[in-house]
Order: sequence, then structure tokens, then C-alpha cells
Amino acid sequence: MKFLVALIFIFSITFAHAQDELPSITIKNLKNKPINIKNQFAEKDKVYVFSFWATWCAPCISELEAISEYYEDWSEELNMELIAISTDDSRTQRRVRPMLNGKDWPYEVLLDGNQELKRALSIVNIPYSIVVKNQKIEHIFNGYTQGAEHELYEVIKGL
Amino acid sequence: MNFKAVLLGLFCIQLSFVSFAQNDTIELQKVDENKKKYKGRFYGGIESNIQYYLEDSGLESAIVPEDQFRSNNYLYANYNYNRWTAGMQVEAYEQNALLNYNPKFEGTNLGIYFLNYKDEKWDITLGHFYEQFGNGLILRAWEDRALGINSALRGGRVKFAPNYNMEFTALYGRQRSGFGVTAGDIFGFDADFFLAEYLNLYEKNQDLTIGFSYVGRYESLSNYPQLQNPEFDDLTNAFSFRADYMCGAFYAVAEANYKSKDGILDVQNLLSDQSARTGNAVTVNFGYSKSRLGLDVNLRRMENMGFYSQREPEVFTNFEGEPQNSFDYLDTFINFTPALTKQHHSLLANIYVFQAQHSVLFEDPQVMRAGETGGQIDFFYKFKKGTFLGGKHGTHIFLNYSNWYNLPGRYTFNPPDFDVDFFGRGNRYFSDYSIEIKKKLDETWHLGFNYINQYYDQRLLGGGDLVRADIVTAEATYSFDRKRSLRFELEKMWAVGDRQDWFGGSIEYNFNENLSVYFWDIWNYGSDKPEERVHYVNVGGAYRVGAYRVAVNYGRQRGGLVCVGGVCRFVPESSGLTINFNTSF
Repeated sequence: MKFLVALIFIFSITFAHAQDELPSITIKNLKNKPINIKNQFAEKDKVYVFSFWATWCAPCISELEAISEYYEDWSEELNMELIAISTDDSRTQRRVRPMLNGKDWPYEVLLDGNQELKRALSIVNIPYSIVVKNQKIEHIFNGYTQGAEHELYEVIKGL
Repeated sequence: MNFKAVLLGLFCIQLSFVSFAQNDTIELQKVDENKKKYKGRFYGGIESNIQYYLEDSGLESAIVPEDQFRSNNYLYANYNYNRWTAGMQVEAYEQNALLNYNPKFEGTNLGIYFLNYKDEKWDITLGHFYEQFGNGLILRAWEDRALGINSALRGGRVKFAPNYNMEFTALYGRQRSGFGVTAGDIFGFDADFFLAEYLNLYEKNQDLTIGFSYVGRYESLSNYPQLQNPEFDDLTNAFSFRADYMCGAFYAVAEANYKSKDGILDVQNLLSDQSARTGNAVTVNFGYSKSRLGLDVNLRRMENMGFYSQREPEVFTNFEGEPQNSFDYLDTFINFTPALTKQHHSLLANIYVFQAQHSVLFEDPQVMRAGETGGQIDFFYKFKKGTFLGGKHGTHIFLNYSNWYNLPGRYTFNPPDFDVDFFGRGNRYFSDYSIEIKKKLDETWHLGFNYINQYYDQRLLGGGDLVRADIVTAEATYSFDRKRSLRFELEKMWAVGDRQDWFGGSIEYNFNENLSVYFWDIWNYGSDKPEERVHYVNVGGAYRVGAYRVAVNYGRQRGGLVCVGGVCRFVPESSGLTINFNTSF
């Protein structure tokens, strides 16, 4: 019982405080170049969507697939970019490149192989997407269901 | 640390959070005055996995532990001020951890703490840290809560990047085990060189990276009184070289690893004077990919690559009174040797899951192995929109083929010895051939189809029959409108050996992007044993908004391996209610 009280106590604090800033973490892109998440996606008023996925995660692939259908229209209409952050570890990381091309996805992909960025953002489950504008986290999608890409579009449009 | 002390500690943290939050509000008002004072940044997350185990008359083998209410809880909190970050993770396993987690995860305590300084060139950490060198075949310190793994090193690490083209890492630490650390001292050094700029490769659309790693594990052999005159040293050295090359649409990666002579555990997991060998692992990966096409080939050979921060595992007695050891809980592993096979998402394709065989084992004259050799091929193709096979929205097709064998050579049981060849293959452990087709018909219908053929030789992999299985799955998602959708899936497995045929089905309804509910059942109708012909029925749902996610499940857990990213944890059969909660702040 004491324990449950403590648990509820701790949960309550999270309501008072939401993470709104991107951590300054450097991970690599598919060309092995280090990319700093905070500094390299900092164009004023541009909306960045960081979408965490893995090659073995079926709903993640459905999400990226669904967004890719509209991506051309979205990026023309809105000042936005999607960065797909692969959390694949060395077991499946080799599959990222061929899958990206095999699926014909237009995204920039970064590799978070030992989950440094995922941990800094306290992400437990993927898919998980964060919408960032002017280096501030504006919205979080914890999970994906068919059709949620339309909600994402509305969120980006509303920013 | 007792529970009250931790609770008090958390209370203090809470107070500071609240004052933070208030400061933030006050600050917001000040923003208008353009005088915002930097106060640093507080961030972290919470995860809670709660289970209530229930009696189940329909599932004879279900375990009902003494403490029926169990939970694993994690509070991860960091404070960042300019270049400095301090962080910690409090973990609470109350009352006791979920079934079959490492018994050393007990009570509430501080699991992780660190202080980090980071600028453009330096990244220095004192306390706990996670790390991976190359593919991880000689070092990976990481966390996976679902698997009960936290192999963080506790010590110090310095990373230095003089420019964008090179990076060096040096570290020392002891590996975390439960809330303590193991007896071995770990030393590591890693260097990466990005050569494309120096060699002007970018102009030619090429890229080249090379890397080198060293890991030393020092554990005094005086910890093992049975050793009189061992043929190996206190210090074991491991080296790794790698190269990553890319040329247009083609790429190739190779990594070679070597481990110096180290004691080999016998079947009781004990060391002896004479039993010692070196180890090695080689991986080669290459592929070709362009728009709508991807091909990837991954080959790996591992010989005696078990590498532990404490040579002999600790022995425990589990809740059923059976002996278990650290390795059963994936504890004390320094390196990471995942199975290179496709991770399927269907329920029935995850019954016979291969785990990489990195170590030497002489179980009986029929089961003698020194490692594994094999490979995997992946092929991705998208049929273009508007073609006969592509239809209106295109069609995706994936093929995967993987085959894993024991190392070929001569094995003698008494005394245990082997002389293996580099090329060739021994007895087959596992194979998996699969085809997956995904198709979007129109805005309302998404279809999927899978065929999987598996070969799983339990005679070599922990005991049991040789299993050959064919699995077919079909799934469809129907979208009623932009928010509501229904997904259903049917699965059938025809298997020879072990528990034989299964049938499965699942149905999931999404009310909107926040709320989903599901029901699924897998039924082992084909088993020879009547008590195994059970339905593993589960019903549940998930609610998520922003960073919050709450999931509830009620039903039966099939005993066996639970796998995340190719690493598996054994769970016993059980029945009950599960609640998962997570958020970040």
C-alpha cells in the first residue's frame, strides 16, 4: 500500500512538468556522420517530426508508410521535415538501409543504435513521435493507429 | 537503503519538482519582460509494470507465486545545467519483481547515477554509463527493462573527438548486476576514423570508416579456489577491428574480433585448470540498395565468444525451487551476440525463436558445440504504383532467409575438446524462410500476408524434439473513417514435433489515435497432451495521450521466450492482470 501511494505520488509530479526542450545528443546518420539533434534541426519556424522506429516494429512501419503517401504534399504545403530515428541495434541495423530504399521512403534516417536519444527522451514504446518547432517539443505521439497521420497533419498545421 | 529512506528521498525530489514547476510559471510571466534567467533543465521518465497473478483452473501449468502482486518501476531523472548533467534511476521491485526477473532486482534502491560533462570535443562521465563498441561483439553495456537487462558500467568514461573525422573513447568500470556490481574490472578503448574527407571519397560518392576496440576484463583467479595451476590469466583481452565501406548504392561492412585464452565453463558452469581456449568472431555484411529495391547479406561465425564480467555465474533457486544462474537472467554478459534472424511480429512465429550460440557447451556426447556459423539474406522490393502487381498504391514484398549451424570439426567429450574448421558448417540449429506481402488496396483497406517456414532443433538447443513448422498469417485493417479502424489477423501453424499445431487470431479496434482495445487467442489444439490443448486468451487495451500511455491486459501468458530485438528472456506460464504505465517529463 505504502508503495502504491509512493507510485501515485511520483506520477503526480509529471503533470506539473513536461519536457519541452530537445536534449543535445549526437547520433549518426546512414553515412556515419555525427548529427546533433538540437543544433542541426534548428531552422526558424520549421516543424521537425522525429519519429522513432525499428525495422522489426510493425506499427512503426505502418506509420512511416502512411506518412510517406502524403509526404510530398505535406512538405510542399507546410514547412516541415520528418526524421526517422531508427532504434535498431546491431542485430537489425543492417536492415535499415535496404528497407528505407526498398520501401522508397523519402526520410532522413538517423541511427540510435545504443538508444542514447531514446533514453534521454524516456521513450519506452515505439512508435513514438515528437513534433518540434524552434527547438521546443510541441507535441508527442506515443503510439500509432491507422489514420493517426491525419492528426499529425492537423498538429503540424496548427503550429 | 530501506524503503522509507527512498520514499523520503522521492518526497524531497517531488518538492523540488513542484517548486520547479512554480518557478516555471513565474518565469513564463517574466518572459514578457524579456529577462528569462536560465535555470537548467529537469527531465526524465517513469515506467511502471504491474502484474497481479491469478489462479487459473484452465491452465494447469500456471504459476501463482507467493506474492501475487508484483511490479517493476523505474524513475529516471536528470538535471542539466549548461555543459553539466547529473542523473539517476531509482528502481522499485515491489513486492518482488515480475516472475523470472533476476532475483538480485529486489526492493527499492538507486540503480543508476552519473555526472556528465559535455562540450564540443569532450564527453566525460563519472558513475554509471552505457556503451557499445562496433557491433557490440566485445562490449555492449545497455538497458532493456522488458528483458530485465541493465549491464551499465559503473566507473568513468572519457570520449574525445578532436574533430568530426575521429572519435576516441576510454573507459573503466565494473558491471552492474542487480543493485551491485560484479567482481571483474573492465577496461576499454575504442577509436573510430571517418576517412572520406581525407581521401576525398565524397566526390566519388564513396565513404569509408575504420575502427578499432580493446576490452580487458581483469578478475582475480583467487576467487576460484578449485584452480591450482590454471592455463589462463586473471586478465582476458579482447580486440576488434572493423571497416565500413560504401560506394554509391553498394555497401560492405566487416568486423573481426578476437578474445585471448580464457577459462571455459563446464556443464555445471564451473572453471577448471585445463579447460581454456581463445575465442573469435567474424562478421561480414554487404548489400545493394536503390529506390524500391534493397538486398542485404549478413554472415557471421562465432567461436567461444562467451564473455562475462564474472567468469562463473551466481546460482539461485527460483520460485519453483529449481536452480538457475546469472546467465538465465542475461546477467554479467559483457558483449552482445544477438541472433541474426528476422524478428516476426505474428504470435505463432515467435514460439520457436533462435538465440545465438556464442559459447562452448559440452552437455553430453550428442550435444557438443563451440559456437555458431551461418547467415541471413534480406530482400525488399516495391512494385511500382500503376503497374499490374503494384496496383493503385504499390505492393511491398520482403523475403528473408536465415540458416544457423554449429561449427564443423572434431569434438571429443572426455576430456572435452574440439578442433573446428573456419569454413563449412556443422549440425543445423535453426533455419527460417519467410515471405511477407503488404498491400494498400485503397483508403479503407490494408492487407498483409506472411508465410514462414522454420526448422528448430531443440535437441541441440536446450532439450526437446526437432521441430519443423509452417506458419501462414493473413491480416487486414479496415478504416471506417480517419480515426476509427479495425484490424484482424488469422494465424495457423502446422508443426511436427514438440507441441504441434496451433491456431491463432486477433482483433483490434482503434476508437481514435488515443484509445485501442484488442482481443487475441492462440490455441494449441494439435498437442498430443490433453493438458496442453489450451487457449491462451488475452484481452486488453491502451490509452495514450501526449507522452502518457496506460495499457491493461488480462489473460494467459504462454510459457517460453519473450524476445526483444533478438535477445530473449524465459517466462513461466501464468495468468493474470497486467498494467503498464509510462510517461516522460
